Amino acid sequence: MGATVDEPRSSEGRSTPWLANLRVVATTCEMALKHAATDSFIIFAVFVQPLIIALLGLYMLRERGGDYAIFVVVGSGLTGLWSSLLFVSGGALNQERWSGTLESLVGMPTSLEVVVFGKNLAYVTQSLGSMVLAYALASLLFGTPLHVAQPLLFLASIILTTVSFVCLGLLLAPMFVANPDIRNFVNALEYPMYILAGFLFPIALLPGWTTPLSYVLAPYWAAEALHAASTGTAALNNMALDWGMLLVLGAAYVLIGRWLFRVFLRKARQDATLDFF
Amino acid sequence: MNMEAARSPIHRLTANIRLFYEGAYLSYVALFTWFAPWTYLASKVIMPLGQILFFTYLGTYATGPASADFYVIGNAVQLAAISGVYGVTMSIGGDRWSGTLPYLFGAPANRLTIFVGRAAIHVVDGMIGVAFGLAWGALLLGLDLSRTDPLALTLTIVVTAFSTSGLGLMLGSLSLITVNVMFVNNLIYFMLLIFSGSNLDLTKLPAIMQAVSQGIPLTRGIASARLIIAGGSLAEVTPLLMQEVGIGLIYALVGYAMFRWFEIQAKRRGTLEVV
Repeated sequence: MGATVDEPRSSEGRSTPWLANLRVVATTCEMALKHAATDSFIIFAVFVQPLIIALLGLYMLRERGGDYAIFVVVGSGLTGLWSSLLFVSGGALNQERWSGTLESLVGMPTSLEVVVFGKNLAYVTQSLGSMVLAYALASLLFGTPLHVAQPLLFLASIILTTVSFVCLGLLLAPMFVANPDIRNFVNALEYPMYILAGFLFPIALLPGWTTPLSYVLAPYWAAEALHAASTGTAALNNMALDWGMLLVLGAAYVLIGRWLFRVFLRKARQDATLDFF
Repeated sequence: MNMEAARSPIHRLTANIRLFYEGAYLSYVALFTWFAPWTYLASKVIMPLGQILFFTYLGTYATGPASADFYVIGNAVQLAAISGVYGVTMSIGGDRWSGTLPYLFGAPANRLTIFVGRAAIHVVDGMIGVAFGLAWGALLLGLDLSRTDPLALTLTIVVTAFSTSGLGLMLGSLSLITVNVMFVNNLIYFMLLIFSGSNLDLTKLPAIMQAVSQGIPLTRGIASARLIIAGGSLAEVTPLLMQEVGIGLIYALVGYAMFRWFEIQAKRRGTLEVV
């Protein structure tokens, strides 16, 4: 039986058909991309800030020589992915709340997670553009010859990175919308991920007690896979581990995210605080 | 003869001082919620620590552990720009978003007092931010302050916080005519990471980038702080500090001129809150 407006939401027990969910993901993705194209804050987070970090990284790391340029391009692109996820995807539901549209979204027969998935997909995919821009910057400004050493492995790693980042966004969204203290903390979360995930330097530089923290972060495994594939140091067994961890952590984020969505929506309905912030 | 002219000079001075302090205090309390502990902790303690750690690790990865102090000091002093750029800009632009700009421009209060008062508390806050940054550096990254002249370092921090607030006053005036104020603030803050020398050796940059560096706040403040922490004296950095003050004053004056011009134009055209 197809879903109707009278049916309970999928997050409370029933699933809407896959095709309908895909349509919602596509529509949300399109809307989010249109919105992002005109939002100067998003443009800064996704394109300008990673470019500035790339410029800094290229100047700072050039004395290391070797494959430093492609390392910086990939690393700065990942900073763009994380900043986008943190500021844009994390705040996506709050944006709906401020616009007065959150109630309509929650009232739809489609699960709220599906809507957030579509938004995250748009922002994360768009953020990949920051890697392309950093690539162009390194080539044009520094005249550095750049090539991805293992393009097929790199492409597969990019796809899995995108999936895992979208899943991480599903974890962040309910946390940010349910708890104003976490939302206020968002500025403080940007650099720790750059550090712990080893976007621009190896985590071996960090104190040993931080290593387990890195291991539970999908961005760390994404950085491992992308750096290895781009610089040509990827061994198949290491790459399999990176990809496996991206999938396992992505699945874990989805499961925890679904639970958080249920908790948040139940609490918002019980307390009638959906549009309170 | 209007009432303002009828008052004695001492009364006017007292009124302006009161206006200055009330404006400074309210700009901090009303336009920010930084007294909320979580927000303050995130923006003024944890985020700066993240910035210092990230760039110090990146820098030492590039050039070795011996260069850690260069990045710690550079980024700690750069933190003055959080208050100087974001704080001051939002204090001035906040009147527009709060709908209080017509009251402000309709009041007979001294404009210079209002304008400068918006920045005053952020100079103090910027100093606290730099102190936090240096403390993080000493506690976590082994920054050696044993050869530092505390008076000279304090003066350097005061001057740098002042000069970045001068830049903030100019950006704050711009925020009265643009909706993209956060884009501009973010852009300026991140450009300072490149051009101020907080993370790069300016002598190794192209000439045009060096020229830009010499025209912005922070550059000389960061250079002074590095000299003082390495054991230099106040006399050695005095020329740099004088120039830093001069640059801050220039930015503040340009900002004030823009503020006055926007007010006059807005009143003339009836476009007070129009972009």
